[in-house]
Amino acid sequence: MLDALLLALWAGIAGIDLFNGLTHIHRPLVSGLVVGLILGDVQTGLITGGMLELVWMGMAPLAGAQPPNVVVGGIIGASFAILANQEPSVAVGIAVPFAVAAQAGITLLFTAFSPVMHKADEYAEKANLKGIDKINYLGLAILFVSYFIVVFLPIYFGADTAESVVNMLPQTFIDGLSTAGGMMPAIGFALLLKIMFKTQYVAFLIIGFVLVAYLELPILAVALIGAAIAMYDFYNGKNKGNTPPPSEEVYTDGI
Amino acid sequence: MESNVNKEELVVNPEYEDQTPVKLDKKDLNKMAWRSLLLQASFNYERMQAGGWLYSMAPALEKIHKKKEDLSKSMKMHLEFFNTHPFLVTFVMGIVAAMEGNKNDTETIRGIKVATMGPLGGIGDALFWLTLLPISAGIGASLAIDGSVAGPIIFLIMFNIVHFGLRFGLMHYGYRTGVNSIGILKESTKLVSRAASILGLTVVGALIASYINLSLDVVIKAGEAEVNLQEGVLDQIMPKMLPLGYAFLMYYLLKKGWSPLALIGITVVFGVAGQYLGLF
Repeated sequence: MLDALLLALWAGIAGIDLFNGLTHIHRPLVSGLVVGLILGDVQTGLITGGMLELVWMGMAPLAGAQPPNVVVGGIIGASFAILANQEPSVAVGIAVPFAVAAQAGITLLFTAFSPVMHKADEYAEKANLKGIDKINYLGLAILFVSYFIVVFLPIYFGADTAESVVNMLPQTFIDGLSTAGGMMPAIGFALLLKIMFKTQYVAFLIIGFVLVAYLELPILAVALIGAAIAMYDFYNGKNKGNTPPPSEEVYTDGI
Repeated sequence: MESNVNKEELVVNPEYEDQTPVKLDKKDLNKMAWRSLLLQASFNYERMQAGGWLYSMAPALEKIHKKKEDLSKSMKMHLEFFNTHPFLVTFVMGIVAAMEGNKNDTETIRGIKVATMGPLGGIGDALFWLTLLPISAGIGASLAIDGSVAGPIIFLIMFNIVHFGLRFGLMHYGYRTGVNSIGILKESTKLVSRAASILGLTVVGALIASYINLSLDVVIKAGEAEVNLQEGVLDQIMPKMLPLGYAFLMYYLLKKGWSPLALIGITVVFGVAGQYLGLF
């Protein structure tokens, strides 16, 4: 009970941070640590959080897209991994349906809040800035309560039943979820590619891939190499008079 | 672009009655930057960030508009539909605050708001969701998966140094340069987003090779010889070939208009079916 309340409290705080504050304490990476601290298993929390982070990495709220809710997914996934004693990769498969449901709820919330703007119009008419403040604080309160409830219910009622539900599932099915969990990051990366992919930059995608697949360099090393290339390109462009040619032969060759 | 201009407002004079210019100091701008954290507190599908935008502009508007009619006029304009990138919004706020202080008319201010909100969205996406977040979270996640508490901590520090640096920096920068800064930004926008694309794609390539777990567990028996399909065949052609292939399959389906949710569903089905068939 206390665990469920604490987790729900964290969900409320993280839920606000997803849209306001944006310090990114709401990411699964951080939620995993916090959930681990609350439930007394930091290791599992960290590992699950890290894996969930990779799944959600590419699911940015780009141009109105509504990815499965990262707050609920992160907290439920990490909690489930600890409470039901499951492999982190299985937790990923379990977390996604909850996250999808939660996002649908948030969508409804944004729709329901629209009429409140007409109250704001009245305040504007009266030049009442305090009223505008109140409306914004009301929005925060509603967000907090929504997330609190969405996380409290499944954990409070599901912590004990979760294990029995999982025990009913055949092992092959669990392994399948685990395999799927391991593949999930592909969707995130594909979403990133959908926005970033330009034929003239394919070279850099290949460089990044080869550095890891063949040379097994850590990500930070690859990021630094990428930064070096980007900086070189940026200052080159600046010297050329601020307008890089739209497509340079160098980047389009050989693909 | 939805506008809330009704017939009554069209005849309203966009000029402010009180034309005395008002200067804002650093304290005012910092107050606005702090408030900008709540840009999406009253987010809704009708006006999106308008409520939070007005909430953030409030300290400036209170100081600038001494006449009640002027304040009301300004507030109404700021309650119109607004949506931009939540990290870069302070840049627009700085510019708009400078214009309000100058007592530019509401029509001009609206024009600037609308002109800046779109492009900033794209730049912000490239800088934050596609560059900063994948890099900082990628580094953090790789540490966390090894069971290190440093993962989340390093991630938060990295992310927020850039986040708050830009949030406060852009507020002051936007205010200082006022309207002129729009031109400057336009000039190097191409270069900035290009550099971000190069860095971002390099990292995405690395992530594909690092973090997608997909390998076959199939042994083909040919008489006496046993061939492990993954190690003996696929890895010989190219390591990490299946992860790369799957990422691009997902990319292709997204381009075809499939939703991320459908892809999640497919992945689950694929994983479970593959297990039952004994592929993995």
